[in-house]
Amino acid sequence: MNEKNKDIFSRIESYYTDYGQRAKELKNEGIKIIGYMCSLIPLEIITAAGCVPFRMRGDVHEPITKGDINLETIACPFYRSCFDLSVKGKYDFLDGSIVAHGCDSMARTYAVWKYTLDLPYSHFVNLPHTISESSREFFRAGLNTFRKSLGKFAGKEISDDDLAEAIGLYNENRDKVRALYELRKPDPPIVSGTEITKILTVGASLPVAEANKLFDEVLEELRQRKESPFKKVRRIMIDGACMDNIELVKLIEDLGGNVVVDTLCNGTRDNLPHTDTGNDPLSALADRYLDKINCPRTYRENKEQDLQKELESRFGDIGFFARESKADAAILYVYKYCDPFGFEVPVRKAYFESIKLPLLYLEDEYSAGTIGQLKTRIQAFLEMIQ
Amino acid sequence: MAEEEKKKRKKRRTATKAAASIGPMVKAAIGGTIKAKEEGKKIAYTFIVCLYDEILRAMDIVPVWTENYAGVCGAKRDAERFLERAESLGFSRSLCTYALCGLGFDQWREELGEMPPEAPWGGQARPDMMLSSGQILCDPRNKWYQAAQQFMPDVPIHNVDLPYPLYEDDIHFTDIQDYYIKHIIEELRGLVTFLEKQTGKKMDYDRLSGLVDLGEKTWNLIHETYELRRAVPTPMGTGDAMNTMVPMTFMLGTQEAYDFYVGLNKELKEKIARKEGVIENEKYRLLWGGGLPSWFALADFNYFNSKGAVFPAETTYRMVQPIYHMYMPETNDPIERLAWRWFGYWVYWYDKARKRPGSHPDVEWLIQYIEDYQIDGIVMHEAFSCRTWHLGLIWQLNQLAKIYKPIPVLVLGKDGRENKASRELPSLVLESDIIDITSYSEVDTRNRIDAFIETLESVKKGKTI
Repeated sequence: MNEKNKDIFSRIESYYTDYGQRAKELKNEGIKIIGYMCSLIPLEIITAAGCVPFRMRGDVHEPITKGDINLETIACPFYRSCFDLSVKGKYDFLDGSIVAHGCDSMARTYAVWKYTLDLPYSHFVNLPHTISESSREFFRAGLNTFRKSLGKFAGKEISDDDLAEAIGLYNENRDKVRALYELRKPDPPIVSGTEITKILTVGASLPVAEANKLFDEVLEELRQRKESPFKKVRRIMIDGACMDNIELVKLIEDLGGNVVVDTLCNGTRDNLPHTDTGNDPLSALADRYLDKINCPRTYRENKEQDLQKELESRFGDIGFFARESKADAAILYVYKYCDPFGFEVPVRKAYFESIKLPLLYLEDEYSAGTIGQLKTRIQAFLEMIQ
Repeated sequence: MAEEEKKKRKKRRTATKAAASIGPMVKAAIGGTIKAKEEGKKIAYTFIVCLYDEILRAMDIVPVWTENYAGVCGAKRDAERFLERAESLGFSRSLCTYALCGLGFDQWREELGEMPPEAPWGGQARPDMMLSSGQILCDPRNKWYQAAQQFMPDVPIHNVDLPYPLYEDDIHFTDIQDYYIKHIIEELRGLVTFLEKQTGKKMDYDRLSGLVDLGEKTWNLIHETYELRRAVPTPMGTGDAMNTMVPMTFMLGTQEAYDFYVGLNKELKEKIARKEGVIENEKYRLLWGGGLPSWFALADFNYFNSKGAVFPAETTYRMVQPIYHMYMPETNDPIERLAWRWFGYWVYWYDKARKRPGSHPDVEWLIQYIEDYQIDGIVMHEAFSCRTWHLGLIWQLNQLAKIYKPIPVLVLGKDGRENKASRELPSLVLESDIIDITSYSEVDTRNRIDAFIETLESVKKGKTI
């Protein structure tokens, strides 16, 4: 093991287990920490304001209790968990929170967050649902409002140059994530899905420059692995929304599958698409967050009126990553009460069938309490695809 | 549904003749869409509160309000077979049950090539197009038709973005309204282009302008008519309002809708003159403070009535505000007027909220109605399958309790002296669904209503003087 990097994985473990420890240190240094929960938040603007974006996590092991006082149980269970932890003081170091118009669970509870947590700053990023010239222009104007509002709070006028610099840092970050994913391609992979989940989760809790440095160290360390420490077993893809706890991935890997790729919010959905550079940075950000992030909440016009072409147009990225990673099978993992993904389940199933990838569909709550049931189903699925 | 059960269920009693006329009106409208389809008219699936009602009317497009049909299936207690079908197709039962009912129905109709057997009120006509209108309002509006395209790939979708800004402390809506209005206008123009392509005819903007006039006139009339319910005793309750919302939400931009409210206005004024209330002895005035009703259990409103409770007001389906209180720029462009109407409706309570520390537009709306309608308690309904209209309700009640001490009264203290205090405003949150009857227990619901009435009684008698 490289001496310089010998403790990198123990550092990641520490950041993962004591989530938010670095943000607390930075807060003590006078830096403003801004919480968020969705891939549709333009982090570049937060960074350009001199603040640190911090991706709030839920905790599948923590029963939701105090959060239920103000937030209905029909909300997204992941979102409820984040809210519950916030109410219990887990994220007391936050100076603000940004909520995106990702789904009804976010949009309809913006006031609940804002008033209950009563943080010094809050803002709602209103993304349109359609993709058109008008919606891009509308979204750009909304991002400009956000830029001014956050700049006022941070005491800094956010210039185009500031934005361009932040865009550069995040694009660099995405290149590094891409490099990490490259290490999942060999059979068996060089890095496990559990490790990747931890690394990316931790990265989202750090200032982007620190995350970049951390990823460099991880890459250097991983490239020292001349041989994969893992067995050559079935290669699994995970499709779904946000997965910020390792439990499901670890379960699959413990049961004898290698999780080699994903189309998750805190995986390829958010971490790979670049922001264009060289032109108006706000327009480029509007384009990235509206169009390049393939989230089911954004409506993409079906121009062909042909189901197969429609499937390819909407879910082609799934097929691309599955082929690229030589996945043998996939697990579609959707949270209960998730309308954007829930209404897509039959059509996603149809897509997986069209690309001949065996699929296990799991609807779950955000709770470790369901692990036993998941274990039985995943075990049976892995046996089936042997 | 078994014939026996159909016979057993009596027709629900309404306070107004106007509300009683709605059932046949909806039945005729649904039958009308099937006939229109047979006559070759263009049929569009669409959602209520879509803003573009008048545009559809001006283009002679027949709207099929898919939420309405699901509601009809629910009210007739015949949604279960469509919900089960949707579930068997892979949709989770935790999703919007309006959408699930519609998807189950559509898939069945497409599979059979005809209406499913004994489809309520003749069924739902196959659309020529589907018009989504989601944005900030509702996720299923964005996803339902997209999911339906799996069974109807030949039916085109046009999705219309209709944004409005959420309430922020540091941003006044007038600072951002220009880009909101601009985008809404562009979206509506895009819709017109789409409809022109689908129908092969051009929009008649003079006709549209006339219909927007009529729509605005109807909005003002609805507002004035509903305000009549402030009277004590109140001449109409929320149970009736769940019927009288039909012309407002399904028929806007038609003379029939306007005439309906002319009739309702007259009927309410006559009842007020006669001091004729929903019930003879009105003891408790309640606010339906949020949540869609359980369409299969509207008789619960009658149960409240039987306990001396009436609902003079509700925030649900109060989808109009007086146009004359909104900012409307002078313009001859009906599309622009529609955009401003939409924006004005959603920011209607924003300035009022700004004046009260800790308030919020949704809470301010409750406060205004509590005062205007002399409210004694609040009832809400949490429908498990609908996040759109039901998330945030509990918080609204909690925030209301935090910032608003509504009714100053004198309280008899332990020492027998009179002290100034505030009367409590009890609340009840019912839990069930909009159309999924398996989530409902009549016994539990009525037990909760009984307990709530006891609370109201004790607060009213209590120690207040």
